[in-house]
Amino acid sequence: MKVADFLQLQKDRFKLCLFTDEHTLQSQIINNEVSRPGLVLCGFTERFAFDRTLVFGETEIVYLESLPEEKLKSYIEIMCSFDIPCMVVSKGLEPPRLMIEVANRRGIPVLGTTLGTQNFNRMLAGFLEQFFAPQTFIHATLADVYGVGLLYTGPSGIGKSECVLDLVERGHRLVCDDVVRIIRVGENTVVGMMNEKLGHHMEIRGLGIIDIFRLFGIRAVRSRKRIEVVVQLSRWENNVQYERTGLVDLTTKILDVELPLVQVPLVPGKNITVIGEVIAMNHLLKQKGYHTAKEFNRRLLEEMQQDRYIDELSE
Amino acid sequence: MAQLQKELTVLNKLGLHARPAALLVQMTNRFSSEVTLRKNDIEINAKSIMGIMMLAAEYGSTLLVTAVGDDAEDALNAIQEIFNRKFEENDEGEE
Repeated sequence: MKVADFLQLQKDRFKLCLFTDEHTLQSQIINNEVSRPGLVLCGFTERFAFDRTLVFGETEIVYLESLPEEKLKSYIEIMCSFDIPCMVVSKGLEPPRLMIEVANRRGIPVLGTTLGTQNFNRMLAGFLEQFFAPQTFIHATLADVYGVGLLYTGPSGIGKSECVLDLVERGHRLVCDDVVRIIRVGENTVVGMMNEKLGHHMEIRGLGIIDIFRLFGIRAVRSRKRIEVVVQLSRWENNVQYERTGLVDLTTKILDVELPLVQVPLVPGKNITVIGEVIAMNHLLKQKGYHTAKEFNRRLLEEMQQDRYIDELSE
Repeated sequence: MAQLQKELTVLNKLGLHARPAALLVQMTNRFSSEVTLRKNDIEINAKSIMGIMMLAAEYGSTLLVTAVGDDAEDALNAIQEIFNRKFEENDEGEE
């Protein structure tokens, strides 16, 4: 992300100003890492992670200003000899004149913010994490059913949209139909988001394109939702073995995050909508610690154990 | 099972708006192969009309069509044909 773009678009939110000259704004932030400069300010360059955005707080500025001119020049030169993407001085403080000069020469932008260091670090880290998050687009429909993000997948024309339309009718919410933008947040979470261009439109074969927001209102839609279960719709096939007990928890991966998977065969006459609701409710139960199939089997095993005990006693 | 690709240019003056998108999606759905369209770094399923419209492919833009399946070659040829015929539109966007 070009620093120029960051400055232009986020100036107000991050309360930014620029200390170096405009040409330094061509520099690119290349990852989501934010850190304090640390020991490089004493000339210790081993293990210096220079590809990060460096934030200078009160401690750093007071330290730099306490240095004699020679030492300051030396340490600044050493630090700026690396390809640092961007430096930010927080709390409305000003960087030493020398730092601005050297940064200008090296093409490193030095921004300023009136925000406190901790606050700015947190905000920037969150912003960059989202910007650099791995993302993909998939052909699916995402719905929020009882607060659970269900991602309906399957071949074109199978009925993902129609399914979710019925769910909306029953009070659930549509995030996005057809082209879902998915980003990974942190290690274990994937979030599906709508596209501004497509809004909350949906294509229903035979009907055409409908606008869920206009038809059903604000409570029928949402802009983004964490994906928690993948519901894979398929045409029912004779020779395929479908899950019969629910003891096996199938999973699938999206952007390297493992998600529960439920495969639902479509058979004419079967109510797919309520299956979707039950998938969501079952997911909530499992999170509470109650795994229905396992519980059922446990009681069954106990009962069989009991019967065998009684049989053995009566021999 | 073949995987084939082709680069096609949008020749319609008004680009891939609703009408040509509908024609294209009706065409792609005739084949069993999976068909995708890519513009720059966005790739969408060409069997979905919303996906095609999201590309906002304007006049002169280049799209990469990929077909994977038993009838991939037929699919690509048919798609190329419809692109070349400008989706049966004249310069004013009428049939």
